[in-house]
Amino acid sequence: MAQLTAPIRTSGAGRMADRRTVVGVAAMLVAVALLVSVGDLGRIAWVRTFFVIFGSILIQALPFVMLGAFAAALVEVFVPIGVFEKLGALPRPLQLPAAALAGLAFPICECGSVPVARRLMQRGLMPSAAVTFMLAAPVLNPVVIASTYVAFRGRSTLWTMVGGRFLLGMLVAIAVGWVVGNRSKEQLLKPNPEEEHEHMLELGRPEARWRRFFVHLGNDFLFMGRYLLLGATIAAAIQTFLPTSVLTGVAARPVISVLTMMALAAALSLCSESDAFVAASFVQFGPAAQLGFLVFGPMVDLKLVALYAGTFRRGFARTVVLVSAVATFVGALWVGVAFG
Amino acid sequence: MSDAIVARTGARIHDDAAPPRRWSPTRVAGTLVLAAWAGLFWFLWLTGREAFYLSTRTDWVVPVAAGLLTAATMGRLASAKVTTPKPIAARELWIMGLMVVPVVLVVFSAPATLGTFSAGKRSAFTGTSVATSASDIGSGELTLVDVAAGETSPDGERALAKRAGEKVDFVGFVSIRDDTPADEFLLARYVVTCCVADATIAEVRVVNVTPGRFSDEDWVRVQGTIFPLGREVIVDASDVTAVERPDHPYLTP
Repeated sequence: MAQLTAPIRTSGAGRMADRRTVVGVAAMLVAVALLVSVGDLGRIAWVRTFFVIFGSILIQALPFVMLGAFAAALVEVFVPIGVFEKLGALPRPLQLPAAALAGLAFPICECGSVPVARRLMQRGLMPSAAVTFMLAAPVLNPVVIASTYVAFRGRSTLWTMVGGRFLLGMLVAIAVGWVVGNRSKEQLLKPNPEEEHEHMLELGRPEARWRRFFVHLGNDFLFMGRYLLLGATIAAAIQTFLPTSVLTGVAARPVISVLTMMALAAALSLCSESDAFVAASFVQFGPAAQLGFLVFGPMVDLKLVALYAGTFRRGFARTVVLVSAVATFVGALWVGVAFG
Repeated sequence: MSDAIVARTGARIHDDAAPPRRWSPTRVAGTLVLAAWAGLFWFLWLTGREAFYLSTRTDWVVPVAAGLLTAATMGRLASAKVTTPKPIAARELWIMGLMVVPVVLVVFSAPATLGTFSAGKRSAFTGTSVATSASDIGSGELTLVDVAAGETSPDGERALAKRAGEKVDFVGFVSIRDDTPADEFLLARYVVTCCVADATIAEVRVVNVTPGRFSDEDWVRVQGTIFPLGREVIVDASDVTAVERPDHPYLTP
């Protein structure tokens, strides 16, 4: 049978690119290259600082986005449809905790968990479970547990921080999943423009798996990468200009200190595998505020919000931010009262 | 006669009916973006520039990313021909172009590290984020990481205080603030756990230096005697020499 590759639908993104567009994009890249090399923009201290922080966030995060896209493409191409639907057979009270604990088996950070969760949803996993997994994996994975242990080793709050991060992270992820409830993947996910352009439909037989694998891999990377870029730009700007000394004044105020550390975690956009060392550095803050930093940061930060906004439909990012913030805040305060 | 027979076989009909594949603009553009990023990671790895962005704990991601992105680029290129290619939207092409901008920034800008500008912004972190135990601080050669770690806990502070009067040999960059006396400077070095975004700073006050000899961000080697005074650590310099920026400008705890 003849093998055809037909578009399902094309993007309604307006004007198509022509030769002028190509020349324009190339000219922009040449101009940037000239500006930074000949113009020596790096001699300006704040520009240099911004470039270094911006570059480091991307260089650190993009490999994990790539690994996440790799795992997502494997799920898409090699895991049969319906496998994840079987998870729905679990008793309902167990579904979300099971999804959260699945994070233990995936040593991926927050950048990698978004494409994986998106793909899991598309392959039939309940959206609430996929969201729970997405939020829990960066907090519950073994690398993060180990780094938290190392960062707080030798302190009296060691087990409060390690255990608190694990349990509170799981509870917050489950809370968000519970709020997502029975919403369908169509209600949650935005279509990927990369896949809209030339969504391959094979007439008669599916296209070679290796081709589909690489197309999905590239599409996910390009899709996530653009939002990561946006988030990294904002995070780097804040890191460049925010004097951290403004924080020391609120460290002694129990409620405000928790909120401040949560806001700082969101602004700094650190990788969950290293944030424990930064949290441990804020010795002037108590365990409740440090725990707020450690739980909230891997679920909500500037680069993640950009990723959520690109991946999910309007309102989802707001739900994640609000529910995560309230649940983390209440949980951290409780830990502060119980163990502080 | 033979042509007619061949024409009736399924294989021949399949070949004749299969429409030709042509390059897909969307996939080709995506391939170029992937190739640019793959090229960046190879560049970082081959030039050692990853040390300006990552710690030695996490620099393994660079060759891994280079390999994965190269494979992704080749795979996408191999699947970039389709039977019915669609044109790419101008907006999409601009977005892909913007995704290459960070690659251009890193490759074409001069190698740079965090300097004194950021030191001022990160002063609240001073001497922290380091998980070295008090016993590590109390014995062996003192490093800037030990000094930084000595300020994270009362035990560390006490362990560091016991080292008062010992000889030290530190490498770092000069940081001069508005209120720094002429015969002093701060010797600073960033401590990076994962990437520069989590950098904290280790600083000691160096006294007894020749006024005006060094400027902000000069890299120097300071030899002298250490005197921890509570949260402040002073080094009475016996020798200060200019050195090249180290290949690994950040310390890893």
